[in-house]
Amino acid sequence: MSVRTAVCPVDELPPGSMKLMPVGAFGVGVYNVGGSFYAIANYCAHEGAPLCAGFIGGTNEFDPAAPGMLRRVREGKILRCPWHQWEFDVTTGQNLANPRKRVRTYEVEVADGKVYVIA
Amino acid sequence: MSPLSPVIDTNVQPHFRKNAEIRRYLAPTYSLRSIPDVEQQWYQAPRGDYRADLYGDHYPGSDPATMAKHLFEDAGVDVAILNPLTRGNIADYLLNSRICAAINDWLLDKWIDADTTGRFRGTIRVNPEDPKGAVEEISRLAQHPKMVQVGIPMQSREPFGKPMFEPIWEAAAAHGLPVAVHINGGNGVDHPPTFAGHAHTYPGYAAFMPLNYFVHLATLIVEGVFGRHPDLRFVFADGGYDVLTPLMWRLDSFWMSMRDQTPWVDRPPSDYLADQVRFCASSFDGPTDHRQTARWMNFSCTANLLMYGSSYPHWSTCRPDAVVAGMDPAQAERVLWRNAADLYGSSLPVVGSS
Repeated sequence: MSVRTAVCPVDELPPGSMKLMPVGAFGVGVYNVGGSFYAIANYCAHEGAPLCAGFIGGTNEFDPAAPGMLRRVREGKILRCPWHQWEFDVTTGQNLANPRKRVRTYEVEVADGKVYVIA
Repeated sequence: MSPLSPVIDTNVQPHFRKNAEIRRYLAPTYSLRSIPDVEQQWYQAPRGDYRADLYGDHYPGSDPATMAKHLFEDAGVDVAILNPLTRGNIADYLLNSRICAAINDWLLDKWIDADTTGRFRGTIRVNPEDPKGAVEEISRLAQHPKMVQVGIPMQSREPFGKPMFEPIWEAAAAHGLPVAVHINGGNGVDHPPTFAGHAHTYPGYAAFMPLNYFVHLATLIVEGVFGRHPDLRFVFADGGYDVLTPLMWRLDSFWMSMRDQTPWVDRPPSDYLADQVRFCASSFDGPTDHRQTARWMNFSCTANLLMYGSSYPHWSTCRPDAVVAGMDPAQAERVLWRNAADLYGSSLPVVGSS
């Protein structure tokens, strides 16, 4: 059964930051991506690494017209596992290379100036 | 395996009767140029490079009637794809392209157009170190109905995924011709034959030189060549299908981690194999215990990638029944003819209609 856990006041989780909550067996990372909040399990779908210890940033897309044929996209949404650099979209939990692999994501609520994770 | 199963031999090396025979097919402008001997290499098989009974007045594999008897009568082959070698990469890449053209003209003259069996098919030899010349040579001969593929050496000073080669692959794909890679006869201006340097003697060479295929294959995938040219197909004629799986695991693993560096690779590298890569059989490949062969092929998903190729007249030439020993009937059928029929399509006579 899901439990609502208070994370912090909204202004303590500014865009680009994360708070790791001791929820569930491995913890859940709560992220502010450009003003929207997302939560993802701290457990990589590959080999169980602490996913939320990885850097969050963007990724590259194929663009035949660009120099180097690369275009930077999805800035701030892509979490890279610290062990093997697998990329996950923190807003969906989906792995970028293999969409059949995903990490569980959770609902986040904002109420009365506070952030809550439902996990 | 049924003794009546159709058999397509995808890897046969015909030779000149004598080294000097190539001179008849080279323009007078090259009459004073030295042309390397096709046997000029450092690694000779201890008992000779060719099947022992083929040594005589002329090079082994140089007489069409003898070859037809050995392949079509003795081994039960229905169709044989001739893939003659050239003489190593040489510094004068323009001369090397003329050597390739001479070999193509000789192949057509002595083997293909003169063929009375209707069972020989040919290979358009090109020199990748001269991309413009290679494209012109493909255009010159691609319309010949019996030239069924493009042939290039395994030896290269850059892997084949590099952009300078792409016009050649594009031309081959546009004409529907697979590109067959085979270790060249002769030794030229080349890198050492293994990643780590020069082997000492023949066993070290013969065991590991074929594995260079993997560097070519990996770059064709990772640098996006296969993705940009979905009709491009490569045949690795020296074999090595049996070590493909762990090497592809490595490549797939690194792609999972570094996908964002080459996002034009839009699927795991191993996903390109089924449509775009084939291997010829080799006596050196596969489990030494035939009871393991069927399992090995199932486990490694290679039954759709492997094609029978005899390597005739090489000393390691293998008969069809030896190549499919231990395979289940469906695997044997794929290896003996079905995979080749799918790859070469209507350029081969209809076989296996039974």
